[in-house]
Amino acid sequence: MNASFRRRMLPYVLISPLVVFIGALSFVPTADTTVEAFFRVMPLDPPTRFIGLGNFRELFANPVIRESWVNTAVYVAIGVVLSVVFGTAIAVALQRRSRFRGVILAIIVLPWALPAVVEAVIWSWIYNPTFGVMNSALHSVHAIAGYHVWLGLDRWLTILLIEIVQVWQITPLSVLIILAALQSIQPALYEAARVDGAGPVAMFRRISLPLIRPAIAIATVEALVLSLNIFDQVYILNGIAPLGSSIMLQTYVTTFTDLNFGGGYALSLLVTLATAALSMAALALLYRRVEAA
Amino acid sequence: MTNPRILTRRAGAVVLSAGLVALAACGSGSSSTTTSSSSSKSITVAVAYPAPPKALLDQFTKQTGIKVNWVNIGWDDLQTKIAAAMSANTYFADAADVDWSKVGEYEKTGWFEPLNKWFNVASLKSDMPQVNTFVSDNKLMGMPFDSSFLVTTVNKKDFAKAGVTAMPTTLAAWTADLKKVGKANGMANPLDIQLATAEGLSTCWYQMTAAFGGQVLTSQDAPAFTSPSSPGYQAMNWIVNAYKSGLVPKGNINTTDYQGFTTEMAKNRVAAVMCDYSGSVGSIYNVPASSSVVNQTEYIPTPGAAGVGKNVANPDGIGIPKTAKNVAGAVKFIQWFTNTENQATWAGLQGPKNVVSTFPLPARLSSFNLLTTHGNPGEASQLESIIKTHAQPPFPNGAPPWYVQFSAAVQTNIHQAATGQETVAQAVQAIASQVNTLKTSG
Repeated sequence: MNASFRRRMLPYVLISPLVVFIGALSFVPTADTTVEAFFRVMPLDPPTRFIGLGNFRELFANPVIRESWVNTAVYVAIGVVLSVVFGTAIAVALQRRSRFRGVILAIIVLPWALPAVVEAVIWSWIYNPTFGVMNSALHSVHAIAGYHVWLGLDRWLTILLIEIVQVWQITPLSVLIILAALQSIQPALYEAARVDGAGPVAMFRRISLPLIRPAIAIATVEALVLSLNIFDQVYILNGIAPLGSSIMLQTYVTTFTDLNFGGGYALSLLVTLATAALSMAALALLYRRVEAA
Repeated sequence: MTNPRILTRRAGAVVLSAGLVALAACGSGSSSTTTSSSSSKSITVAVAYPAPPKALLDQFTKQTGIKVNWVNIGWDDLQTKIAAAMSANTYFADAADVDWSKVGEYEKTGWFEPLNKWFNVASLKSDMPQVNTFVSDNKLMGMPFDSSFLVTTVNKKDFAKAGVTAMPTTLAAWTADLKKVGKANGMANPLDIQLATAEGLSTCWYQMTAAFGGQVLTSQDAPAFTSPSSPGYQAMNWIVNAYKSGLVPKGNINTTDYQGFTTEMAKNRVAAVMCDYSGSVGSIYNVPASSSVVNQTEYIPTPGAAGVGKNVANPDGIGIPKTAKNVAGAVKFIQWFTNTENQATWAGLQGPKNVVSTFPLPARLSSFNLLTTHGNPGEASQLESIIKTHAQPPFPNGAPPWYVQFSAAVQTNIHQAATGQETVAQAVQAIASQVNTLKTSG
């Protein structure tokens, strides 16, 4: 074994443990899911048998699942827009060095550190129609006449309120990603702009925004992936009710309530493909604009 | 710059370490045979139930040498865990909850070990009236370990304040009295019924159907609720109207957790609960630390369409999953947990310190006799007359194998009818259609 061969092999040796772990934990289950999606796998209707696109046909014929796709699109739209907008705004506010920035950052990161289930339980008390903080606060400022049932009655309001819980959780990561990008911008650029008479808004639009676009792209993809896969918040706050149901919740219901594992595999596969396609599209779109800027 | 050869060696060491970790992992799996002797000294019991007192579990360990690891998981979550573990053919417990509703499913999927080898159904029948609920295709899928059933609970003080001292026996009188009770006590919504999309809503419909004098499925497992005059249809209508008319708190459509639901009664925000669980008075409403209605609540015969209605029995059972590692230990535990004396102990034979929290009634008549003989029937005395005269199974033919899909259709459609997304007639049709599909495919 000569030195040149060893040098060429070095990168492969270095990444091999990672490949083994990712392969075992990600690629093998994905491949298995892909294959099983074309089989009827139902413990109550054995044996397991090949049915081609049968699972997919059943899924598309199911009105609850079709509505869940629409609901999920709304979850994604709200989640991506709010978490990126709030993430950018908070990061810009924290860009200026101050004595309390570390403390504020630590507080902001807290929701990210909590498990989604815990957060959903906390918010279920906030939204509680009988003694929740939301009713109490809105009623005390005369914004509402009486106590309201916030979840489970109106489809779009239910989705909005559930997604707000997720935005509360995922925005801290957007803040960190965008703040890191903001801090890498040379202060000289701002000083030069200030000398030229640029105000804060102009400096944000002409300097900060173009340079943090890669970070915004990553924050967008992160929000997109998380909101497309929203489950815990929906399950805790709204149960398995079709109104406001997400596609991941329907994957759970198909698999573990209906015991239709083949259908669950097929739905998982579709969610994976949708996640990959949308993430790639978002990255391609945003990164191209960054390069143009 | 580091010499590439050194880097390669270091990387090789990392790979070797990873390999060793993997080998160690394999080793721990293969060592299950070597640990079998130690695992035979312990069992994991996974049920949606609180553990018996530690002192009694320690007694079991002393008698048998088997240590019990008790895992108490919420009912809905436990069913998911069982389905996930069993479909993956992996171990999760040595003894686990076998709900009455899962008997047909577990028999058909083969996920649980039939217990006929260790328990004789014929000889158990006279002492355990509900043992048949756990038999499917002549296979005993679980041993009943209580006589749980759905009850109606009231706050006597709230009812008395409204001048209601004789409890109503018909649903019409019940509805009128509830309105009076709400008004007298300043309660906007005096009645709790679980309306979230969870198993409790399905079970409540079966209970209300029983109160109206029927069952939701025929003995051929066909829908018995499609006619507007049928008990099932009327029951659904009654539940939906109770919600829409304001008898039931609006938030109940989201209260998925049973404990949260009963908190309303414990905190005196409602005056009555329908489809309550036998055992709630002792385990929730009479607990001073968390209840403000201690000694104010009682079970009453459930009001029906034309007089006292039936109560749906939903006993809990315990069985052995196919993937159990310590079958012998699990059998010993089930024998111990369901024996005459212990069944009576869980219900209060040896006083409150040895009671199992939420335990309603023993599964054995002999245990009940023990309680009576020793003059310590506790809460069981209130429930005895109800179960002896009014209890009935949810389905005439036992739970069908497709029960889980049926229940999902029931809870989602009643929920949608309550929230105004569909009418009761549409909900009934949707559930009936699902039953017909399941019967054809299953």
